[in-house]
Amino acid sequence: MSETSAFFERLTVAGQDPRFSKVCGSVRFDIRDDGNLEQWLLEIDHGRMRVTRSGAPATTVIKVSAPLAEAMARGEVNGLAAITRGEIMVDGDLALALRIGRLFPREPGQLQREDPTVGRDR
Amino acid sequence: MRDIAGTVACIDGNTFMVSDSSGDVESSPSTPVGLFAADTRFLSRWRLTVNGECMTALSVDDSQYFEVTFFVVPGAAVDYVEADVSAIRRRRIGPDLTESLTIFNYGEQDMTLDVRLEVAADFADIFEIKFDIGEKRGAHYTHVGPNELRLGYRRGTYQREVVVSASEPAEFGPDGLAFAVRLRPGQQWSTRLQAVMLALRPDGVDLRSALRALRPDDSTLPTSMQAWVAAAPTLDTDSVGLQQVYHRSLVDLAALRFAPLSLGGASVPAAGLPWFMTLFGRDSLLTCLQTLPVAPSLTPPTLRILASLQGVRPDDVLEEDPGRILHELRYGESAAFEEQPHSPYYGTVDASPLFVVLLDEYERWSGDTALVTELEHEARAALAWIDLYADLNSTGYIWYQRRNRATGLDNQCWKDSWDSISYADGRLPGFPRATCETQGYAYDAKIRGARLARTFWGDPAFADRLESEAAALYERFNREFWLEDRGFYALALDHDGTPVDSLSSNIGHLLWSGIVPPERAPRVVEHLMGPALFSGWGVRTFAEGQRRYNPLGYHNGTVWPFDNSFIAWGLRRYGFGNEAARIAEGILSAATYFEGRLPEAFGGFDRDTTKFPIRYPTAGSPQAWSSGACMLLIRTMLGINPHDDHLAVDPALPATFGRIALLDIPGRWGKRDAFARQRPDQR
Repeated sequence: MSETSAFFERLTVAGQDPRFSKVCGSVRFDIRDDGNLEQWLLEIDHGRMRVTRSGAPATTVIKVSAPLAEAMARGEVNGLAAITRGEIMVDGDLALALRIGRLFPREPGQLQREDPTVGRDR
Repeated sequence: MRDIAGTVACIDGNTFMVSDSSGDVESSPSTPVGLFAADTRFLSRWRLTVNGECMTALSVDDSQYFEVTFFVVPGAAVDYVEADVSAIRRRRIGPDLTESLTIFNYGEQDMTLDVRLEVAADFADIFEIKFDIGEKRGAHYTHVGPNELRLGYRRGTYQREVVVSASEPAEFGPDGLAFAVRLRPGQQWSTRLQAVMLALRPDGVDLRSALRALRPDDSTLPTSMQAWVAAAPTLDTDSVGLQQVYHRSLVDLAALRFAPLSLGGASVPAAGLPWFMTLFGRDSLLTCLQTLPVAPSLTPPTLRILASLQGVRPDDVLEEDPGRILHELRYGESAAFEEQPHSPYYGTVDASPLFVVLLDEYERWSGDTALVTELEHEARAALAWIDLYADLNSTGYIWYQRRNRATGLDNQCWKDSWDSISYADGRLPGFPRATCETQGYAYDAKIRGARLARTFWGDPAFADRLESEAAALYERFNREFWLEDRGFYALALDHDGTPVDSLSSNIGHLLWSGIVPPERAPRVVEHLMGPALFSGWGVRTFAEGQRRYNPLGYHNGTVWPFDNSFIAWGLRRYGFGNEAARIAEGILSAATYFEGRLPEAFGGFDRDTTKFPIRYPTAGSPQAWSSGACMLLIRTMLGINPHDDHLAVDPALPATFGRIALLDIPGRWGKRDAFARQRPDQR
């Protein structure tokens, strides 16, 4: 099973997320791998979540490539940056998409090497 | 980076154009002029010539922020006296740039004119301009069509494009477009130029299209601005200068409103032109605090977007932690490719406590208990961040030490330049650092959080806990930051707890937060209003006599209007009405030298020496919290405060103003007026 599928399976089991107690809506993930299209529908009703493999209409559709979906499931993707550079395409309610993005794990960003310059302003 | 004097800005939120006074743009890699949207420069050249001659401005009208009109003639300034040809460029910024160009022939001969517009687009990220990085990783492209010039930039799936077209027939080339115009005496010719800016996804859709669909039609802009001004209280005063500052500040606050991608069309204030045309946690929260009496509508969307982007997990690049409120959000190329950490960046220690402070202050004004309930979870998380993530060495303070050592900020307080926190002898303290004003914000956040918990969240136990934590912080802070021999609070604590002993404006914020015992306040005020800190225009960021003092040092000696407005608020809180009035008089008088538009900062030179405020070279203008400073200073002069369901008024006017009345102040009381009049014996 792919990391993506495992991620959505976990959501199916979880069923409820208190962080979304004020959220209602549906989000469909359209994951494209060459010619194949894998679709997951996430329906949220005041924190109750239902996950199905479905191509039914949704208020928000998130279109990504299969490799990017895998990277998201591994927690390697900054959603906002990926939207800005066109790797994640959102149709519909972007605010809802960003909220949903919080369901994905996120590897802590790695500490970087010390910059030789003294410092910088904002 | 370089700042250009004499530039003209046309603004609509985070879309803006900065040109010279004739309307032309000729940028270099490090000058912040051109047409910008979403932190990207879409036009780096936009230059009009007639028969090979550049244009010179006779007059410019930028009284409406979204529209600028340039009256121009060909040739250098000395030649135009006999000019037969003249032109009007009427520029408007909305989602796109439109410019109506009209050329007149007032001569007695037929004329054949070669009218050209030179166009170029470098697609520079605002940070490439700021740090003067010329090289781009992606590739530029140019498509010349019969009716348009299409300039683009592509890097992987990232694509930005600008499409230039005209309503009249033109000859398009890779460097611009040209019109052959024949005019008889007394005739005029017009065309409508357009530059459409696109942030394209790989499927050809603009990634902002959903947001743009929510935007009202451009034709509503004038009425929208009128409605914004009309919704604000009316200022009635004998001071022409104050009237001008008030009106300009209101218009500039309208100009800086922008709709972030993730907020469903609602607008929040961008921080300032040209460098900070985006959402900043600290700037937007402080601007909202300043403007509650005049523009309370800014606050709910600001709190909501900061809540929706509140940190949820530790991340060392973004410097994110659960509950932390963001510092800066960007949409440019450097953020898109995570070369800069702004998607979003969380490196600030004051936005989280200020989030709670604003939520409470907003409720006191508006009575909007629904928002307090809606944001309970986020306010609790922000309060928890103070103790769980900001107290880096378990000493009971908010500390900072950057985890992103490549691109993070050294100083994560409002004075966020690298050398802003120093000892009186100039040494820089180690890390982590705990600056004084941040502890004041934390104290205030706990006190206000306790009120919210007890009154609205039904959690008296949490309220009790917050109050006892606040009391402990008060006691600890007054023991460890107070320099008894000097009579003021240390600017910060060094990593080992040593007080950083320099004298700074930060101590004024402590009065605002209420963490100063009343018996100590007179000594603090004496320093704030003394010659080392008070320039005559306002309180300097850093006092004369400190090793790193420089009247043109960004955070080391300039005067910041926003800083002064909070100091004045703090002075009123402790009963120093005359001192608050002196600050209000100084800052508002300075504004009249900037045509009513308070810049981000100006020089710390003594008022008696220079007689006029000295421009700070790279100061942002307009700057949201500088426009907000005018509003907060009016509040402090009137002494208006929400008191249960009514508005209390307790004026303290400086001698220069005979009369100030603010009419129709909105709030939980409906609308109320506040009057202040100089008593005859005080004049």
